[in-house]
Amino acid sequence: MSIERRLIIREFRLLIARPADLFKPMWFLTLVVSVMPLALSPDSKILADIGSAVIWVGVLLALLLNSDQLFYDDFDTGVLEQYLFVDRPLSWIVGMKLISHWILQVVPLIIVTPLIALMLSVDGLVIHMLVLSLFVATPALTCFTGLGAALTLGTRRSGVLGVLVMMPLFVPVIILASGILIRAKDGTEVLPLFALLGAFSIASAISVPVAIAAALRLNIGGSN
Amino acid sequence: MFWRWFHQWGSPKWFYERASRWQFVFGFVGLTLLFFGTIWGLAFAPVDYQQGHSYRIIYLHVPVAFLAQALYAGMAFCAVVLLVWKMKLADVGMQAMAPVGFAFTILALISGAVWGKPTWGTYWVWDARLTSMLVLAFLYLGVMGLRSAILDFEQAGKTCAILVLVGVVNLPIIKYSVEWWNTLHQPASLTLTKKPAMPASMWVPLFVNIIGYYAAAAYLVLALMRGIVLNRERRARWVREVVDLA
Repeated sequence: MSIERRLIIREFRLLIARPADLFKPMWFLTLVVSVMPLALSPDSKILADIGSAVIWVGVLLALLLNSDQLFYDDFDTGVLEQYLFVDRPLSWIVGMKLISHWILQVVPLIIVTPLIALMLSVDGLVIHMLVLSLFVATPALTCFTGLGAALTLGTRRSGVLGVLVMMPLFVPVIILASGILIRAKDGTEVLPLFALLGAFSIASAISVPVAIAAALRLNIGGSN
Repeated sequence: MFWRWFHQWGSPKWFYERASRWQFVFGFVGLTLLFFGTIWGLAFAPVDYQQGHSYRIIYLHVPVAFLAQALYAGMAFCAVVLLVWKMKLADVGMQAMAPVGFAFTILALISGAVWGKPTWGTYWVWDARLTSMLVLAFLYLGVMGLRSAILDFEQAGKTCAILVLVGVVNLPIIKYSVEWWNTLHQPASLTLTKKPAMPASMWVPLFVNIIGYYAAAAYLVLALMRGIVLNRERRARWVREVVDLA
């Protein structure tokens, strides 16, 4: 069995051992979005207008919340040091971890978004675009949240700091995604924006793991 | 010859002594230029035919906004030097530039808001330039917050260097995306007013002030760097001698 497959299976097993972690992001997202009509207005016209944007922001926050533990357990138990002895570059292993994190933590989050969007009476076509834009954008977001987790690994109470440090870097993704949703509402061409968003995701999937690996090395004792 | 010059930068003591002279030069030049440039700009430059006297805030706003971006570029330069040559002084420079750059960013935002009220009728619009400056302020805050959270200063320096480099790669993307977003959302009436080409009597004092603010920023950064060097090298004998003398 290849190391890549073993790494991913290990992540699956770790998650099965603590199934509550799987539901926490969804729980959070649903809760945040349910508070919105209470705070704003139960009027379905207003909700339909801003619903997709609210869900996008909710997903963003949920992603940031569940990512701060991404490398912490491996760091704490010394597994991170073992990764250095694997005959693969550390950035490649980081990539495997990010992929499994995306499959296990992010994709479930995307799957519940259509349901929540229906509760906010978002238009059918916009829901399609919302889900698609989340699928295209979340690889980039996962990479950046991973970087935030790696940079703040050596600090106490790292969770909030990682969020604060990474949030400004999300600006292009938010803008492109909101552009897609606005154009979907107007019924104009969305493909160019999807292409840009996909390009951003691919570029970050290639380059950010290298930065994450460099940040992780700083936290592995004596090897920097 | 070159390598000798290059290795000198590895010595905190050499830097501390030289920097006090540079600091004096930059402080003197900066203060002089800012004194004359500001008086010239505020009192003697002609009045703008569209905006009246309110345009005079450019003598503060434009140089400060230049520096807010230039200091981030300076931090990125220091980050590269730190990661490639492991030069401690580059880390000191990065640490010193962050609060100065943040202060200039906030000053640019505030002076822009003060100018925006009489000109646009509002303190804040979600204009492309305003938004990207706000993002820059958050990036500076992130770098400072990350540094203060990590106790070991060598590790803090390298971690911040990675963050600064990721930020500097992203800054152009953020800038262009924000510009594109702005044209998508906003009516054209609220873009930065396109001024007629400035006459020399307006831009010469502006130029004087830009150089003056650059010198003032260099003065501030050097002053902070000297303090940081003293603090980091506090166990060295030369620091005790310096501090005892003072």
